[in-house]
Amino acid sequence: MTLSLNTRLLLASSVVLAAFLGFTGLVLDSAFRASADTALRDRLQGYVYALLAASDLDTRGKLHLPAELPDARFSLIGSGLYAQVVDSTGVSIWQSKSLLGLAIPFTNIPGVGQREFAQLAVDRDLPLLSLAFTISWETNSGSDRRYTYRVAENLVGFNAEVSRFRHSLWGWLAGVAILLLGVQNAVLRWSLAPLRRAAADLRAIETGQAQRLPFDYPRELRQLTDNLNGLLASADNHLKRYRDSLGNLAHSLKTPLAVLRGALDGEANDTALRAIAREHLAGMTQLIEYQLQRAAASGRTPLAAPVAVKPIVEKIVTALSKVYADKNVRVTLDIENSVTFLGDPGDLTEMLGNLLDNAFKWCRGQVRVSAQPMARGALHAALDVVVEDDGPGIPGEMKSRVLERGARADETTPGHGLGLAMVQDTVALYHGELALEASPLGGLAVFLRFAVA
Amino acid sequence: MRILVVEDETSLRAQLETQLRKAGYAVDSAADGEDGFYLGRENPFDLAVVDLGLPKLSGTDVILRWREAGRRFPILILTARGRWQDKVEGLNAGADDYLAKPFQAEELHARINALLRRASGVAQPILRCGPIVLDIGARSVQVDNLALDLTGYEYKVLEYLMLNRGKIISKTELTEHVYEQDFDRDSNVIEVFIGRLRRKLDPDNRYQPVETLRGRGYRFALTCGDA
Repeated sequence: MTLSLNTRLLLASSVVLAAFLGFTGLVLDSAFRASADTALRDRLQGYVYALLAASDLDTRGKLHLPAELPDARFSLIGSGLYAQVVDSTGVSIWQSKSLLGLAIPFTNIPGVGQREFAQLAVDRDLPLLSLAFTISWETNSGSDRRYTYRVAENLVGFNAEVSRFRHSLWGWLAGVAILLLGVQNAVLRWSLAPLRRAAADLRAIETGQAQRLPFDYPRELRQLTDNLNGLLASADNHLKRYRDSLGNLAHSLKTPLAVLRGALDGEANDTALRAIAREHLAGMTQLIEYQLQRAAASGRTPLAAPVAVKPIVEKIVTALSKVYADKNVRVTLDIENSVTFLGDPGDLTEMLGNLLDNAFKWCRGQVRVSAQPMARGALHAALDVVVEDDGPGIPGEMKSRVLERGARADETTPGHGLGLAMVQDTVALYHGELALEASPLGGLAVFLRFAVA
Repeated sequence: MRILVVEDETSLRAQLETQLRKAGYAVDSAADGEDGFYLGRENPFDLAVVDLGLPKLSGTDVILRWREAGRRFPILILTARGRWQDKVEGLNAGADDYLAKPFQAEELHARINALLRRASGVAQPILRCGPIVLDIGARSVQVDNLALDLTGYEYKVLEYLMLNRGKIISKTELTEHVYEQDFDRDSNVIEVFIGRLRRKLDPDNRYQPVETLRGRGYRFALTCGDA
């Protein structure tokens, strides 16, 4: 399943947010509980000390506690604060008035000087925390008496306080969470807005309402939108070239067609008619070939990966060596493996195919192909290619004429000039140059130079 | 010489068949890649003409599979699109030459002749063996500088024997290379052709150009020089 970017981000950050707030809540909750608990225990301890301070032994060694105790709640029935003093056998010696009518299940009698806290419950409505503290009292007669002071406080108030805190804590956290999620959603929508806009802009291009993507995208998207614009532009160019070629083709076919029709109507001689038809059929075939090759060349497109030159040359040479097997052509390749061409591999194949075919056709027995990155440009887009043969070459004054469309240096071998003209067109698409020189091998040298775009 | 034509376009296929038959070849044809591959794998053709844009199985694939299956006959590819990519692909798949459509009949014949010659190891279109001169291009035979009048089948038998000179050719092999697939074969006919050839080539029984090896076949026995 493919979730939208918005949903992904929202889901991920919501999970993180929930985990963070939940953890915070738990920590705060337990911290508060711990500190409230400590306070309660300290208070119980305080009561025990107060009771001890108020206690007195009479001359017979009997323990007395005053009627007025330090905290009034000890004297109020059911006040929630209870106290009891027992002797070492557990028999109650004194108990606070508040304990009247209640049976608190005190059980523990800790050792001398020991404190023991315990959670007790009289019934469900009356949970208690109790503290038992045993002291050893030396009487005048010199004997030891042990008394255990027990104090208990109602936990209802404490529990209520904790749960009040808990309620308000989680309430706040939930509020903050909702607020943050809202803010986050807004931030996401705002951040992803350019993507939505890009989609809308592309739709506009699709429906023909726009030609290009606007240029005011955020930096992160610029690379993408610029490349898209480049692709659109190159597709436009391609389409335009196809249209032009089609127009040119239709236009230029009309002349030979008209001649043929005229010959059909006017020429009585069968042999002459055949000759005319043959000549113009050949011409039309060439026209179609030329325009199709021209239209099919794709030219430099954005995002084109560099193409290794050597394997392509090798493939073409292998193929042509079969076609011209009778000539036993010796082919020298002077191409490093690392040499690349930045463009369409099909275009490179067409250009080299045409040039090598000419070289094989015209050579006496030797063909040389060299390719190297242009000396000054470190960029791989810059490339020099030379295809040479040891054939008759093309005389100086013919060199410029041969490049004109369809012109042929030697009328008896069709296609020589056509191939060159096509190569020249494709080279021009790459903003490169084509030059014809005399080769040291003795024949023609065709130089191709592809500059950095 | 027996040629296979694999071309999906009906009118062009018919045209090729007619032209090639007129030129004296035995012709079988297929309209798609699968049929073409099957025919070429099962029969001993001397050459195949294959269109690159075929239905069911592309021309390049047909060639690749033939070569994988060990078929060695020369292949001429026909391309409608003049793209080098297609030509290079076809040639590197195992084809030996290409011809771009539309082409002239003369051009086709020249290419086919060149390929057949190359396949038989004869560099020139003219083969001289003693007093016998075989002109593959013109499809004519001379003995002692006198033109010989041979029927199409007689010529085919002689050409095959001479291009495979020194080798023993069985009657079956000869039949397969001289006749089209659906021809009603009768090996006695070959004996008749051989007999007639002997009478025409060597009426005085001086050179004995065609040997009979009983139970094994025939052999062209004269030594030849290309010239």
